[in-house]
Amino acid sequence: MNPHDWYVENRAAFVARALEPDEERTFREHLPRCEECLREVSRLERELGWLGMGATPVAPRPGLTRRLTAAVLDRPRRWQVVLPSVLAAAALLLAVGLGWQGQRDRRALETALAAREHRLMALADTLSVLREAQAVTQANISMDRYRGGLVIFRDAVSHRWCVVVHGLPPAPAGNVYQFWFITTTGMVRSVEVDANSTHPAIMTVGMPGESAPVMGAALTVEPAVNRSSEPQGMQLAHVMF
Amino acid sequence: MAKPDPAPTRPFSLQREASLRRRLAARDEQALVELIDLATPWLLGVAQGMLSDRDEAEEVVQEAFTSAWNHTGALGEEHEALMPWLLRITRNRAIDRLRRRARGRARLARAQASGALPEDTLAPVEPNEAARPGWHVHESVHEALAALPPEQRQAVQLAYFRGLTHAEIARTLEIPMGTVKTRLRLALDKLRVALAPIKDWVL
Repeated sequence: MNPHDWYVENRAAFVARALEPDEERTFREHLPRCEECLREVSRLERELGWLGMGATPVAPRPGLTRRLTAAVLDRPRRWQVVLPSVLAAAALLLAVGLGWQGQRDRRALETALAAREHRLMALADTLSVLREAQAVTQANISMDRYRGGLVIFRDAVSHRWCVVVHGLPPAPAGNVYQFWFITTTGMVRSVEVDANSTHPAIMTVGMPGESAPVMGAALTVEPAVNRSSEPQGMQLAHVMF
Repeated sequence: MAKPDPAPTRPFSLQREASLRRRLAARDEQALVELIDLATPWLLGVAQGMLSDRDEAEEVVQEAFTSAWNHTGALGEEHEALMPWLLRITRNRAIDRLRRRARGRARLARAQASGALPEDTLAPVEPNEAARPGWHVHESVHEALAALPPEQRQAVQLAYFRGLTHAEIARTLEIPMGTVKTRLRLALDKLRVALAPIKDWVL
């Protein structure tokens, strides 16, 4: 028996894959070098090709053929096709929503920030007047059952005052608290005082021009409408320097 | 019981096969759908008979179709019919898996312990299966197998439909390996002759 007889004897077993793994490997390595065996194996494969039809057919589970088609064509399943679109749409909506929300939030924050900065600048300005004031004048105020006060910090260098009103209730309906400069030429209207009994009202005001030297200050209750250039209402405080 | 009418409801003619081959070679996806619809039950039967695992069998069938689809360029030149080609791919893939996993040995041990040889792979099926395309080929293969002596049929059953090697069959049947080789060789020689007309058959 020559070495090739083993291959001849085992051609059918090779086609049936009944050889042991190492034998099968040996046979497979032999095939490219042996035209006869290659030809005979191909012939056996063709002749026995229908033998597999002897197996009992198995009905595919529902949806299997569709899944097989999709898998072979490397097509994503329906949900895999739809999902990216849904996610993209959701992401777009989310982005638009977040963008709109962000825009709104940004504007609100900018407004709040501007207000804070404005408030901070005002406080810094007030602090500078308080720090640089050369004189402080104080007067007691009575309004109904409330007892408060008026404090004026005067900075002659910057010609500004810091006016503090505390302990007053909100102005009566239809009226406002009005702060006045008393000058050599008469009363000069300054700022309205937004009084609140729980928090002092702090205002930094510029003094009238040098053509009307300031001699004192007053706080009155004035009508909210039809205001006059001269005090008309009840006087709460009156101080002279 | 009366023999089921072998006439298929969806005849697979030579013309249809030729058309299918041409369309597959031209990468016609509808042709692939038709092929999958036609061949899946038979390929599943082969794979599941070997692997005894439905999920794995489906994976093997998918691999077979994928391999076939990726090599359709050769279809126009090959003279081998589509079904034998797919059956061979499926069977080879299933055997590759079988031999990679240790469960194959366990399955063999179980078969030995229970004495339940896998005749079920070739078990008759419901008469309504007769309407399935290819059923008459299935019957012809069974007739060829039935003509074998029982011990040769058993060797074919274990080797071809269960994917066992000579040594595994010898252990299963507790007979010398030389006897197994002889029985299988004789059986395959007879089947070659018996199945020869099938090359002209159609599904």
